[in-house]
Amino acid sequence: MRARLILALAATLSLGMAAAKADVLSDAKKAGELKIGTETEFAPFDYIDAGDHTGLNVDLFSEVGKELGLKITWVALPWDGVLPGLEASKFDMVAGPAIITKARLERYVFSTPIAEATVALLKKKGDNSVQKPEDIAGKTVGGGRASSQLAQLKTFAATLSPAPTVREYGGSNEAMADLAAGRVVGISQSLPNAAFAAKRRPDTFEVVMPPFGTKVYFGYILRKDANSASLVEAINGAIMKMKGDGRMAALQKKWFGLEFETPAAITDPAL
Amino acid sequence: MRFDVALVLSYLPAIGWAAITTVGLWIVALVASIVIGLAIAVIRLHGGAIVNTVLRLLVEAIRGTPFLIQLFLLYFGGPFIGLTLERLPAGLLALSLFGGCYMSEVFRTGIRAVPRGHIEAAECVGLSQMQILRRILLPEMLVLVLPAGTNIAVGLIKETAVLSVIGVPELTAVISGIGSETYAFVEALTLLSLCYWALVEICARLGRTAEQRLSLYRFAA
Amino acid sequence: MSWKLFTLLVQAAGATALFSAFAVVAGIALGLFVCGVALSRFRAAAGVARLYVSFFRGVPLLVQLLLVYHLLPVLGLNVSSATAALVALTLCTAAYQAENLRGAFLSVPNGLVEAADVVGMTPWQRFRRIEAPIALRLAIPALLNEAVAILHASALISVVGVIELTKTARDLAASTLEPLPLYAMAGALYLVMNMVLVYGGRLAERRFSVRTA
Repeated sequence: MRARLILALAATLSLGMAAAKADVLSDAKKAGELKIGTETEFAPFDYIDAGDHTGLNVDLFSEVGKELGLKITWVALPWDGVLPGLEASKFDMVAGPAIITKARLERYVFSTPIAEATVALLKKKGDNSVQKPEDIAGKTVGGGRASSQLAQLKTFAATLSPAPTVREYGGSNEAMADLAAGRVVGISQSLPNAAFAAKRRPDTFEVVMPPFGTKVYFGYILRKDANSASLVEAINGAIMKMKGDGRMAALQKKWFGLEFETPAAITDPAL
Repeated sequence: MRFDVALVLSYLPAIGWAAITTVGLWIVALVASIVIGLAIAVIRLHGGAIVNTVLRLLVEAIRGTPFLIQLFLLYFGGPFIGLTLERLPAGLLALSLFGGCYMSEVFRTGIRAVPRGHIEAAECVGLSQMQILRRILLPEMLVLVLPAGTNIAVGLIKETAVLSVIGVPELTAVISGIGSETYAFVEALTLLSLCYWALVEICARLGRTAEQRLSLYRFAA
Repeated sequence: MSWKLFTLLVQAAGATALFSAFAVVAGIALGLFVCGVALSRFRAAAGVARLYVSFFRGVPLLVQLLLVYHLLPVLGLNVSSATAALVALTLCTAAYQAENLRGAFLSVPNGLVEAADVVGMTPWQRFRRIEAPIALRLAIPALLNEAVAILHASALISVVGVIELTKTARDLAASTLEPLPLYAMAGALYLVMNMVLVYGGRLAERRFSVRTA
């Protein structure tokens, strides 16, 4: 009986998603809302400040929402559930943002890049044992589960001797708490995140320069199917317009403290 | 989406280690829970009023709040009062304390259910308090509390999954990590639930078998 | 801790209470149904009910939540975060409630059931007037324990994107970098809700206790 039920379950799974869906953008227009999945532990993009969801994503998508005539509805999940959620059509797209990598491009479509994402180490303020990235050899470091920042840290760690221990965290809040508590000497974060953390908590955190990762970019993620094509175009159109009229530069200034150029599209990322 | 069994199977060694971690965590926490539970129960029955009140408050606080909150208090709050524990010891300590408090209530009920007559008889034949505890109270009580104890033991298996939140590399953390790495999230989740289901069923059956075997020695109703 | 943080936690405790209350009520209803099927004469149906109980009692709620959230869409049912959390909590607690109720129904004294038959009650009358009232009263302590368990289990529903007390405490701990007072206050709020449940339950127990069973 039990074996048969498990078989039936497996069979149902293998049947997969047969139902075809209509165009994502026109569905969103019909409902009047665009559902965006994200992780609210990714300052300065998405984070909770004294109970309110805030960050660059909130500002940026409120502009995008105006451009497209859509209300933005946020769905906040732990990061390792966000991409599975996108694939299960829990929401129309993912904010994040995420690092544009070759592997992810095979599976998803990225929006035009919105920031540099080169990975660096964040350390505890005043920790003299870590002056440069290579100093983590033999120590314990951490990164967020299912993130490219963690994957890059692991690759970097493998080049060091003795190899550092790499810990995985469910979210960067927990990783930062452990860094503050001294359980790890460094955590891997993209420069905008690390710089923001160090600016917000100058007595607690400090960025280890130079970044150990190669130059990569952040983008928003959409599904790679025909139904999402028109949404990809609309999102890119709105963001490109913001890049052109200075709104993007103003957002970068507000959240990163500086403006920088981002290419229109990444087709061949370094990773 | 397809059910990609082969993909999941290639991660079998990692999953095996995670399963061993989960079972190991469970066994250590279970043994510690029984010891802590017994200690609390005996001290509360024989200790003074102040000790009793302190322990009662502890037990009520632990039984009155979610395990996740206790874990966060210990792991993230601990460093602020000078208690910086690593993930594994912190997880084990929280889990043992949690299990111990639940066990202590079961043991207390069990000790009270041991028939007065047995203890009086033991006193008559001249056994000391310690001997009565060791030879009469505890053995009779353990038989009585087996069903409730098994329930708590089974509950502890499932509670180990919560340790994934602070990153203890047990089944839930490892398998869902593999799931998002390989984009086989649904497959991973299905496998994960089957793993726990099997573990829990085995444990529950062992408990029932033990219960049947020991029912011969069940003196009190 | 500032007044603002405290009110945020209290608001979040409201969400926790709401989700738990809904799951408990829906869980008892579903549990009653599952218990009825498990005790029925239809062996196949009873087998399915037992399998249901075994699965939902055998898998951690954390995993069940993820399953409901990510697996249901594969089966063609796309549910929101709040729905997924409610469905998972309800399915899980129903399995426990079904077991509690089954135990209670089995301990309704046989003499009463036979007496009901002798005075000529139909099976439905017997169920409604004798078995159900006695069993439900016998089950009150176990049902209460389970309600408390669900209150605590709801601390996990943020993995599918529902903001409740524990998640709020986590977010606030991250933005203030002061986890100790926030988790302690969250724990205290759980304790308060816990006490309300337990005292309410004791009142109900006293009011409805079976005097001569």
